[in-house]
Amino acid sequence: MSRFVDEPGALLVLLMVILLQPAAAAPLTSEVNAAPVEDTSSVSALNVSIAVFDPGVPADQSLHRDLQVFPRIREIEAMFLPFVLRETLVETNEWGAVRVVPEPDVAVELLVTGAIVRSDGEILELRIRAVDASGHVWLDKTFAGVATDNYSKRDNEPGTVGYQKLFVDIAEELQTARALLNSKALSDIVEISLLRYANRLAPSAFGDYLNGAPDGTFTIRRLPAKNDPMLDRIERIRNTEYVITDTVDAKFQQLHVEIASIYDLWRKYRRKFVEYQMEDARRAQKTKSDASRGSYEAIKNLYDNYKWDRITAQEQDSWAVAFNNEVGPTVEAMEARVADLEGWVDQQYLEWHRLLEELFEVETRLEE
Amino acid sequence: MFRLPGLLILFLLIAACSQQPVIDDRMKRIDGTMPADLSGSWERNYSRDDEVNAVLYGLYYQLSRTSPDQRYSTSPGVAMPSQNDMASVMALARLADLITRPHVLTISQNEHEISIERKDDFAILCAFYDGVAKGTESSYGTEICGWDGEQLISNLVLPDGLQVTHRLTISVDREQLRVVTTVSSNTSRVPFTLRRFYTKFERLPPTFNCIETLSMKRVCSTGEIVP
Repeated sequence: MSRFVDEPGALLVLLMVILLQPAAAAPLTSEVNAAPVEDTSSVSALNVSIAVFDPGVPADQSLHRDLQVFPRIREIEAMFLPFVLRETLVETNEWGAVRVVPEPDVAVELLVTGAIVRSDGEILELRIRAVDASGHVWLDKTFAGVATDNYSKRDNEPGTVGYQKLFVDIAEELQTARALLNSKALSDIVEISLLRYANRLAPSAFGDYLNGAPDGTFTIRRLPAKNDPMLDRIERIRNTEYVITDTVDAKFQQLHVEIASIYDLWRKYRRKFVEYQMEDARRAQKTKSDASRGSYEAIKNLYDNYKWDRITAQEQDSWAVAFNNEVGPTVEAMEARVADLEGWVDQQYLEWHRLLEELFEVETRLEE
Repeated sequence: MFRLPGLLILFLLIAACSQQPVIDDRMKRIDGTMPADLSGSWERNYSRDDEVNAVLYGLYYQLSRTSPDQRYSTSPGVAMPSQNDMASVMALARLADLITRPHVLTISQNEHEISIERKDDFAILCAFYDGVAKGTESSYGTEICGWDGEQLISNLVLPDGLQVTHRLTISVDREQLRVVTTVSSNTSRVPFTLRRFYTKFERLPPTFNCIETLSMKRVCSTGEIVP
């Protein structure tokens, strides 16, 4: 390193070359051809990142059966449902790039996170939180939706997931929240987003541009010069990262396409389960024996009521296994690829961080 | 002179016994691993099974000795059981016979769960989380399991005090399985118990490998299917 410090000009050239060749160095060329999400810097059309939802699986395994929670299916739903929200937001044409990301990133212009509160095929409840880069909470509430049957609407073609109303509600609430902000506030969000990102990569250079309040909000203390070369590099790195993020997003899109029809089937089965349960209850009521207490007819009826209830529940368990059998390979392949991409980004992050910090040090010394 | 108080005490004892839980807290706990491995396919060994009629005859005799109605007494301490008594026991016997009818039991077991699959009936499920038995509850009944030494006990409690208890014991060589099924009810003075014996058998390897799917139902192949 000391050899480079002796030749600051050479180091600058070398690092600039690395930094200014973002995606080309990535071992991902075959996948990075995914159609990039249209990015925008328009202040009214903020970029939105939707993190994979919290599956809402209780840590206490013993509760899963009681709560009708199938952990693996919830995990799949947690990856699948954000994409439905993404599609809904894109269709509104009100937002910039809308991406599904594996992990929440607080530096994005608008981050949407969610948790599945309930998903039983009939009713979906999502707790949705939207926070902008300045730390202001736009939305933090639970949305509930009742499933509609997709198969009846489009000539038996599987359509989008049947809780569309719920996602439209979320999109509308986000628009309403945005409408409360003036263009200065929106512009600040864009600036703060970039500065938070920059601060994470090169804290030495961008550590004092923002004021962080104890409540987690940020305000701009000052702005870097428009022609600040460090900021330029940061933007280039961010664009590189966007290419990878878009590739990850394309993976979620692919997952959505591949499992949508099977997920619809799963929901249909879940609804069937609810119908069966009601049928069991009706049967139990109807067959309430007039036979005397303790007679064979009476006790057999008590046994049968329990038996059919359990058989219904166990049938549902077998549907869950069937669902996993069918979508498991697709999901696992996607998870593995996303993990690869994420790993690559994490690795690059460390490298970018190191290079930028060194670069800043070198440039600062040059100025001295 | 001593007959009436004696019968009263006996009656109270029976009543007291019926109030005790079949599975106590101690039985609901396991230390780490399951005390016995019951997994496998089990086929009824009819030659060793209890005869329903023989068990009924034994109960008839027991009820005769303890019948509070001595009007039809044939000898001191022995009386005809009442019609109600016999009807109640007959009902329990028929239900026990029905429940224990399956010819084959398929038991799968892992560190948390034991599932006992029976044809034409629900699978008995014994779940243990963090070493504690977790019951299954619904508006129709409550099912819980426990271990009494190396015996697995499944207890189903239904309305009207109806209870079905299975006690499974595996032989030392793991080739034989005994299932003692007891059906009891508040409406009967005595429970009805049947013993069924099973012998382990190995299922033939399937010609096809099959998995269940939602869209195509069962999918089979002569080759390996990786779900």
